[in-house]
Parts: sequence; C-alpha cells; structure tokens
Amino acid sequence: MKYQFKGHDEPFSLSKEDMAELLTDGRLLVNNKIAHASKVGDTWWIHYDGHTFQFELVEPGSSATDDDSNLSAPMPGKVLEVQVEVGQMVDEGQTLMILEAMKMEHKIIASKAGKITSINFQAGDQVEQGNELLEIEEDE
Amino acid sequence: MTISKVLIANRGEIACRILRACREAGLATVAIYAKNDTGTIFTELADESFLLEGDSIASTYLDQSQILEIARISGADAIHPGFGFLSERADFAQAVIDAGIQWVGPSPEAISKMGDKMTARITMRDAGVPVIPGEEIEETEEQAALLAIQQASHRVGYPLLLKASSGGGGKGMRSVDDPSQLESAAIGARREAIAAFGDGRVYVERLLTGSKHVEIQVLADRHGRTIHLAERECSVQRRHQKVFEEAPCATITPEIREAMGQAAVAAAQAVNYEGAGTVEFLLAPNGEFFFLEMNTRIQVEHPVTEMVTGVDIVREQLRIAAGEPMSCPELSIRGHAIEVRLYAEDAQNNFLPAIGPLSIFKAPEGPGIRLDTGVRQGDEVTPNYDPMLAKLIVWAPNRTEALEKMRRALDEFVVLGCTTNIRFLRELCDQQEVIDGSTDTTTIDRIWPNGWNPSVTEQQKQSALVVAATAESLGLGKVKLQVSAEQNGPVSPFQIISRRFP
Repeated sequence: MKYQFKGHDEPFSLSKEDMAELLTDGRLLVNNKIAHASKVGDTWWIHYDGHTFQFELVEPGSSATDDDSNLSAPMPGKVLEVQVEVGQMVDEGQTLMILEAMKMEHKIIASKAGKITSINFQAGDQVEQGNELLEIEEDE
Repeated sequence: MTISKVLIANRGEIACRILRACREAGLATVAIYAKNDTGTIFTELADESFLLEGDSIASTYLDQSQILEIARISGADAIHPGFGFLSERADFAQAVIDAGIQWVGPSPEAISKMGDKMTARITMRDAGVPVIPGEEIEETEEQAALLAIQQASHRVGYPLLLKASSGGGGKGMRSVDDPSQLESAAIGARREAIAAFGDGRVYVERLLTGSKHVEIQVLADRHGRTIHLAERECSVQRRHQKVFEEAPCATITPEIREAMGQAAVAAAQAVNYEGAGTVEFLLAPNGEFFFLEMNTRIQVEHPVTEMVTGVDIVREQLRIAAGEPMSCPELSIRGHAIEVRLYAEDAQNNFLPAIGPLSIFKAPEGPGIRLDTGVRQGDEVTPNYDPMLAKLIVWAPNRTEALEKMRRALDEFVVLGCTTNIRFLRELCDQQEVIDGSTDTTTIDRIWPNGWNPSVTEQQKQSALVVAATAESLGLGKVKLQVSAEQNGPVSPFQIISRRFP
C-alpha cells in the first residue's frame, strides 16, 4: 500500500509486516509505544512518543511540495494594514501586511525576495483561513 | 449581606472553576453564554444558563445591561466576574452594586485606582511601595500621543516597554530596544490598545532586564484582616503572556518574601481592598523589587498558590463577599506547584493562535495532577475567544519532583485536531534555566532567539508515518458512530474517535 503525504517527495509505502498493531480501543502500537490517531479532513493527526504530527494525504502523483510563492492567511481575521503596493520589490523578511486575529496583531512576512504581483485584500477586509493574501514573483 | 445565588459573568475554564466552587459552597448558580458557547461545559455546570443575545463579545460577555437584566430575571444576588471581560471594570462593579447585587470583588474605587496604571503608581509610591521609572501618556490624539511618547522615552531610558494603560494579557504591549523602533512600536501598541480596550492611552516604562516576575496573592475581608498567601513566579512568558508559573519562587529568600508580602499587604490596604487580588512585582537580580501593577480579580495562575498553601481562593472570595471572615489559617507553604498554560497555538510559527476540532482531548491523570479546563473532546476551537484551552497544574513535595511530574503529565497529554503548545511546554521543562529556577522574563526569547522547533528524531517521524499509513489502510478515519451495535468487546474505539457532544 502506498500513500502520498503532502511535503514528502516519495509516496510512503507500507508493507503488511510493518503495519502498526491496532489495539481494542482504537489506538495503535508501534515499536512498543502506543500512538493515538485521528483523521480531520484529509489530515491524519498522530500522537506518538510525546510528539504530535500532521500528515495530509494528497492524490498520488500530485505536486507533493508546498507552493510558497503565495502568502495565505494563517487564520481567520481582519486586515489592519497593507504595507506594500503591486509592483513593489520586497526583501525576504519584510512585513507585507498586518492581520488581527484573536485580538492580537500578526505580521505577514515575505518568505522570499521578489516583486508583489497581486494584493487580494485591503485594510478592513475580513479574511478566512487559507485565503491567499498576496503574491510575490521571485527575483530572477 | 448573605448570598445565595451567584451569576458568573464569564465563560470557559474560569467559569467552570467558579461554578464548581459555588456548588461546593451550597450556592445556586447562573451561567450566561453566547450562542457560540452553546453546549460547552460551563453551561452544563450551572443550575440555570441564559443565552446572551448578540454576535460580538461587546454585545454578549461585555454587555452590562443585558447581564444585569439576566441577574434580575434569575434572582441572582451576587455576580462573580472571573478574569478578563468585565472583571476590572469599575463602572460595571458600580452598576452591580446599584442594582442591589453583591459584587464578588473589591470596591469600584479600588478597581479604578489600581486599574489606571498612573493612579496605581502614585498610590503605591505614597504607600511606600517601590515603583519602576515610567510615565503615563495622557494624550489621546495620535500625533500628540506619538510626540509625547517620544519625549517620555528620553526621560525613561532604553530599553523600554510600551503598554496599554487599561491593558492586560499582553495586548497593546511592545518592547523597544532602541529609538529607531519607537514610532512603529508606538503605533502598533496604540492600535491594539484601542481595539482591545477602547482606550489608546499607553504607559512608557523602563524595561528591567534579567528580572523575575514575582507576584503576591492577597486576601482581605470586611473584618479588618488583610493577608498575603506568599508568591508565585511567572517569569516565563511568550509575547508578554505567562506560560509557566510556579509557587514558591525557586530563588526567593524568606527575607524578600516577607518584605514583598508586607509591601503587597500595604498596597491592598492603601485602597481599602476587599476580596482576592494580586500585586505584581519585578524582582531584580540584586534582590530589589518594584511594583508593577495590581490585578483586582482572581488570576489565571491562582491554582499554584492554592496547591502550596491549602487555601481555596475562590471559596474565600465567596465567603468574603457574603460578609464572613476569611477562613485561612496562618500562612504555611508545603511542597511545590507548577502550572503550564495549554494554548491552541503554533509554537513553531511565532505562537500564532490555532483553530480546529478537538478530535481527541485526553488529559493526564494520577496523584498530584490538577486540570482546570473549559473544553472537552469534540469541542471546536474557534477564533472568537482567548486561545487558552487548559491549565495543567502539578504538585509534588519538592521542585525537582514537581518538574518530573510535569514532564510525565505533558507526555501523557494528547490533543489532536488542533495545534497546541504541549510539546513546547514539555521541552521547556528540559531547559537548564527552568531546571535551575533561574528563569527571567526574557528566558524564552533568549533560549530560542530564532523561534522554537521540536527536537524530533527521524525514527519518531518514521514511526508516526507508519501509524498514519496503518490507520488509513484500516479505514479508521471513515468509521462513524453507528458501527458500535455490531461490535463485540467492550467500548467501541470508534465511538471515542468521532465523539461529538450536543
């Protein structure tokens, strides 16, 4: 059985003998440690050995790596300030936008240097989690 | 005036804490809740629960007239405000009193005096309590305020801290290392202060580096008794919000404890304090301490004091509000207690708040462990309120064992479906400064200047992948509640997995 998880180059293949053991209460045993598993949407949340992991299942063959040229809203909130304009060159680490969520301000930071090609929200707009806020075209 | 029925003007974890104390004291209870809190634990713990009309916080938990109307309809004769929301609003305390209802807290005068940082400072200085160099900015108009902040910064000196005059919880707070950062920090602090408190005034204060945040719990009744319950250390903070609190402070001497305790009692007496309150101090490495502020309400981290002193602070609040003398004996400190705050947040991403369903929420158990929470498995974490999910408190005979117990408890704590800071807290417990008790208010920033990442091994990650792939191949994610009928054996695992509460 092969499973493609987001962010992994190769599909993860699982043979029968490598499978974790299912316990009667739905937990799983692997390497003599008990793990908890819960699926939310397409993502498996796993608690194992004091750590929590998230593995998002994607269609086999689909782009396995994150596209980081888009800057999306990390959570629902309101746009307080837009600090850049379309066409402007920005440096990596530069503040592009300020969002307010849970009564706290959060800066949207440029993940790389480049040119702003679009700005999708203005100050005062409400944004949903995952909304693409702006786009940067990488410096060649 | 005796009391018989208490309305709790709060929600979540602290509402649960107060509701349970009322039940134990034989008092009837009234909960109020906004629509998006329907079905949460605190609404079930109360004898009666009333839905608040309105969609925003301002039109629900902050709506004084609606809350007073519910108090009237339900026949509540006391209101406990908890923390946050209306707990430090003198106008609300006054409105409660004017409605003939007992306010569980200090007088409106005491709240105003301590709530305004400038007045608090002057009051404390006059009472002989040491204060930090700092200035209030009274200007409300943006340009004038910025100019005044600029001028004040020269007198106060760098590094400095800007904080909302009517603030708390890290909102409207910015630290500034040098003058070039001042303007943008001031604009941000003012904007956050206006959004959170409707008051853009800021306070400029010298930032005392290398200091510990140490606070004293005080209690005062109407029978002339004002006492302190020793200190809590809450130095470990992220974004100016406490995450790790303990009692007693690892490095305090009996002499400093006594001096600080006396200063706190003097602070409370200076405003004729009644009920429970906390006087916060900065303790410098040389043993000097300075008054920071007084919180005129129950505090998030009150449990660590309860664990080491044996005093139930909320029960004492209720007793004091009923006009009875407090029941605390002479102060004695036993063992060591630590509290960590579980937040729905991404510690790897600048502690950004997180949301999601609590598809699994399994708290640790065993001797010496206390969990104060307002959520349970199946609840949804939304962006509507503060992202604190729970407080995990441990008690042990000494500090080393308390830390060992906290590590074990955090390893047992399983929360899936929503990102939390559990792993961050667990790794915090392994840091040398935390082990030594030498933490100060800059500890987190110093240990992880470029942000925190979990120390996870490739082997652990591979095992977790095996678990995910196995769970997927067995179809564990697809199973719903209905299958239980055909199943043999004890409890169906799948009932637990997809459990939902009404």
